[in-house]
Amino acid sequence: MHIHSVPIKIIALTFLILSTVSVFAQGDIEMADRMRSEGKIYVVVAVLSVVFLGLAVYLITLDRRISKMEKEKENQ
Amino acid sequence: MFKEFSALLGKEIILELRGKYALGGLLLYVISTVFVVYLSVVKVTNIPVWNALFWIIFLFAATNAVAKAFVQDGKEQLLYLYTLASPRSVIMAKITYNTLLLVTVSLVTYAFYGLFIGNPVENTWLYLCTLILGAAGFSGTLTLLSSIAAQTNNNVTLLSILGFPVLMPMLITLLKLSKNAADGLDFSVSVKYLPVLLALNLIVAALSYILFPYLWRD
Amino acid sequence: MEIKKDWWKFLSIVLVLTAIIGGMLIPVPRLAILNETIRNLFYHVTMWFAMMILMTGSVFYSIKHLRSFDVMDDAKARISAEAGLVMGVLGLVTGSVWAKFTWGAYWVNDPKLNGAAVTILVYLAYMILRNSLPEERQRGRISAVYNIFAYVLLMVFLMILPRMTDSLHPGSGGNPAFSNYDLDDTMRIIFYPAIIGWTLFAAWFAQLKFRLFKLNYKLESDLFDLKQPS
Repeated sequence: MHIHSVPIKIIALTFLILSTVSVFAQGDIEMADRMRSEGKIYVVVAVLSVVFLGLAVYLITLDRRISKMEKEKENQ
Repeated sequence: MFKEFSALLGKEIILELRGKYALGGLLLYVISTVFVVYLSVVKVTNIPVWNALFWIIFLFAATNAVAKAFVQDGKEQLLYLYTLASPRSVIMAKITYNTLLLVTVSLVTYAFYGLFIGNPVENTWLYLCTLILGAAGFSGTLTLLSSIAAQTNNNVTLLSILGFPVLMPMLITLLKLSKNAADGLDFSVSVKYLPVLLALNLIVAALSYILFPYLWRD
Repeated sequence: MEIKKDWWKFLSIVLVLTAIIGGMLIPVPRLAILNETIRNLFYHVTMWFAMMILMTGSVFYSIKHLRSFDVMDDAKARISAEAGLVMGVLGLVTGSVWAKFTWGAYWVNDPKLNGAAVTILVYLAYMILRNSLPEERQRGRISAVYNIFAYVLLMVFLMILPRMTDSLHPGSGGNPAFSNYDLDDTMRIIFYPAIIGWTLFAAWFAQLKFRLFKLNYKLESDLFDLKQPS
């Protein structure tokens, strides 16, 4: 598993870029501007990201388990 | 190729005429369905509803008619047929034969439906034209699918399951065109649907022609 | 898992994460009725794209199967269609929820919805067909034929349907939302990666399922060999 190097950097980078491009212009149409200005939206985003990452990690372990089984089968 | 095709087509027609009860049963099916609709609604004045009911009756009749295309010849008979003729002429003959059958069924349905429920169609020629295109399209689609369904043991149910979603593009175009014909709208409004239907029929026939040889190979 | 071979799995994680983070944070056009729900574009609409891409993959393997008659190609076709169906059902359910809050009903008469429903019906029929054919070689061949036949007609359907009826979806008349599917450019930055991300994520599941199938297949054929006196 070489997950530690490249992807993490990319994730960090996208997070950085995306959080800076957010501009919340006030308009006539009601949006969740307050939620954003108070920074609460980041809480939601963080929770969603953690849930998804958790699922992804679980999937990775599953993938590795199957790889192991494939190797065992070949060596038989 | 053409000789083979016409011989096969002749065989289908002769078989049909010999076993009169098959066609008779089909027509009876249509007539009783129409009669059931008549008993439940008597007259339909709303044109879209009239049209939709008509196509639903025809769709079910067509499914029933085509379902037996590959069932009535038993498995051994089909194998024998395939040693004599190329699969491509078999499928083309079956499609042509089913088209003729469905045109007959659709005309009978149209006549009896008009008789019982009433016939609000203003542009009869365009409506009949739609019927023929529809019959050809249904036959093209359902014939290939019935040869698929014939290889399982619950073929009529399976044919409807396989066929209805696939028939949807054709059905929706047919409904549009036939409603326009019934409303008596100007031909220039409806003319754009004709190439769509023709193209669909061509696509279906071409696909059957290409894919059928894979179905009977064992 | 090695990064060289399985880089696309990590890419899928990164892209979906981008969709989650970016999709929530970027500025979106302010539109009446839709309001913030426009962000569903990154989560709901992408399901459909992922489904269509997976179905295309399924047809690709079906064609391959008709050329090679390889059991593995048939399995790939089936499993891609299954993964596509999962995405499709998710798209249908999420779309239903979204429709309730924007158009006021769980199901509205809309060509995009109907097209989606027909797609799901076609692939459910494909699965039922497979289940009613007991013999392996016959099943592969026949279901491949149906897959190709249905896919072509489905594509035609998805092309002609919107021209037959008005849509509530963007790009058609009578819709207060984005008038010409002109997604705004910042949304595009997230939307396209999100499509690729979700597709790869579903493909990952499909690949795992296929590998399990292959293992199981080998195991069974080994048992069969043991039984046969050679």
